[in-house]
Amino acid sequence: MAKVKLIYSHRVVDKPILANVVLRTGVLINILEAKVNAQKGELIVSISAEGEKLKEILNLFREEGVEVQELAETLRIDWERCIACGACISPCPTGALKFKEDWSLEFEEDKCIGCRICVTTCPVKAINIP
Amino acid sequence: MGDEGERLRTINEINEKIKRGDVVVLTAEEMIKLVESSGLEVAAKEVDVVTTGTFGAMCSSGVFLNFGHSDPPIRMTKCWLNDVPVYKGLAAVDGYLGATAMSETRGFDYGGGHVIEDLVSGKEVVLRAESYGTDCYPRKYIETTITLEDINQAILVNPRNCYQRYDAATNSSDRVLYTYMGTLLPNYGNITFSGAGQLNPLCKDPNYETIGIGTRIFLGGGIGYIIGEGTQHSPGAGYGTLMVKGDLKQMNSRYLRGASFHRYGTTLYVGVGLPIPIINMRVARTVALRDDEIFVNIRDYAVPSRPDLRPVVKRVSYAELRSGKVYLGDKSVPSSSLSSYKIAREIAETLKKWIQEGIFLLTEPLEPLPREREFKPLKVKGRELYVKDIMKRDVVTARPGEDVKEIAARLVEKGIDHLPIVDEEGKLIGIVTSWDLAKAVAYDKRRVEEIMTRKVITAFENEPVDVVVRRMSQYNISGVPVVDRMNRVIGILTTDDISRRVVEGGGVWQR
Ligand code: SF4
Ligand code: SF4
Repeated sequence: MAKVKLIYSHRVVDKPILANVVLRTGVLINILEAKVNAQKGELIVSISAEGEKLKEILNLFREEGVEVQELAETLRIDWERCIACGACISPCPTGALKFKEDWSLEFEEDKCIGCRICVTTCPVKAINIP
Repeated sequence: MGDEGERLRTINEINEKIKRGDVVVLTAEEMIKLVESSGLEVAAKEVDVVTTGTFGAMCSSGVFLNFGHSDPPIRMTKCWLNDVPVYKGLAAVDGYLGATAMSETRGFDYGGGHVIEDLVSGKEVVLRAESYGTDCYPRKYIETTITLEDINQAILVNPRNCYQRYDAATNSSDRVLYTYMGTLLPNYGNITFSGAGQLNPLCKDPNYETIGIGTRIFLGGGIGYIIGEGTQHSPGAGYGTLMVKGDLKQMNSRYLRGASFHRYGTTLYVGVGLPIPIINMRVARTVALRDDEIFVNIRDYAVPSRPDLRPVVKRVSYAELRSGKVYLGDKSVPSSSLSSYKIAREIAETLKKWIQEGIFLLTEPLEPLPREREFKPLKVKGRELYVKDIMKRDVVTARPGEDVKEIAARLVEKGIDHLPIVDEEGKLIGIVTSWDLAKAVAYDKRRVEEIMTRKVITAFENEPVDVVVRRMSQYNISGVPVVDRMNRVIGILTTDDISRRVVEGGGVWQR
């Protein structure tokens, strides 16, 4: 599983590139976040592939003129350090961080787009992106 | 229901029960449930003590230290612990280490709060001190390592802890703000708040009938005492505070944590818990107040004003804040806390256990906290300098359709670096700097609109110059057009104007 940001310039923004890649490789690509307008598109996707296969897929995007940025894998939360304050929760743009029933912190890895806002926000430096 | 103030039990009676082992103690959360299920009368009759807790960033915290004398001795005039400066306006080897003092080598990442946490966790800390040398204290320099055990006294004395409640924060501006209220996203992107609401000590006895000088409390994992009202104690509006002390050597780093707020500074998370004896029906009632009955304001931190003058966006209950979503108009905005409800709970539980086990007896306050206090702002001597005092009013502007070469000539001729671009009504739509022009000539661009920057950082004439200077340095720019509320250009302020003013004397203040 890899998290990737795909940046479409205005020249390619209206082409069905993602669908083509899925069809050609048979690998599932899940869109986590999308910002598209007439000039530009930005997608954050998770791709269920690793190693060579992943490289191949990313190259397919590049060949079509899409800029590819591999996002940091995921966060590491040091549960010993975390004081469950919640400072990281509301700044997180995707709702990947939230409280559990008992008011300890819960991290939903699938939703994380690796934006690092929580890393700088955490007052006790309990979050790291390796 | 009779007189609310009528005594139900005395502190002495409660202490007798604690010693006998049959005292009834509940946490504030448990008390709320009991009142809901059995009613106030029953709960007040059954329960002797209710415990509370909070664990949040408390900047006005610090520790008095006595390092002991070296041989030959030194009268320390400057002192650092792990490069964090210690206040030395005290006797030879006494000092005060404040939570917000920042490391001279590690800046925002490490400060007094972290040193306190390190000491409490038993870590070695580097002590460095300087002096000028006297006949009785000849030594001029010392560098050594110490642990909490090595030093004579380490007394946590926090001038302001345990805010009764605290206003929440949001941000209407178009950029991210990094504040002591955490990260505030642009355009009301989120809301942050602090305090444990229904577990918060002072919220549970807002008339201060059981809280005052001498009240024994849970402090940082050990036993502490209230030594009076805290600084900025503002009981009228429900924003009381406490000054507390306790022996750092008894404390525990789970409840004293160094912290740093990104681009703001360092602080200390402090755990405080108060026992509230149910001495009468009034206290029984207030101790059972729920999150949905405790209100604070949400203030807009985009306005660089005094905290109490920042515009109120909405008044909300802790229940709403804690739900994770608050409606501002019809927009649902994520909200989250900065203080830990989980650890606040843990503190209330721990204090309850101490009382049940007979290791914590209650005290009668010698004097209650004051119920009235005026909270005064700082008077500013002279008048602050405003943009309108120093901005240039005869602004040279240009229109988007004009020719780049002509514009360049105009800039050179007038000796200016910033050229606001305006539409036919004089409204600001862009800016061109001499740097843009250099680029334009290099890339052979013709029309102003091809090269102008459309997102212009501006100022209003009634803003303090100080604030605008900060904005300029944030965006790394050397000038801002001054606009009126209709976005029409009425002046321009550049770093040149400001430095000229500073050189001429008076800085950014007028006497
Ligand atoms: S990096 Fe942090 S803030 Fe960003 S999406 Fe992941 S969890 Fe949320
Ligand atoms: S900000 Fe840090 S300490 Fe607070 S809940 Fe998030 S990870 Fe834990």
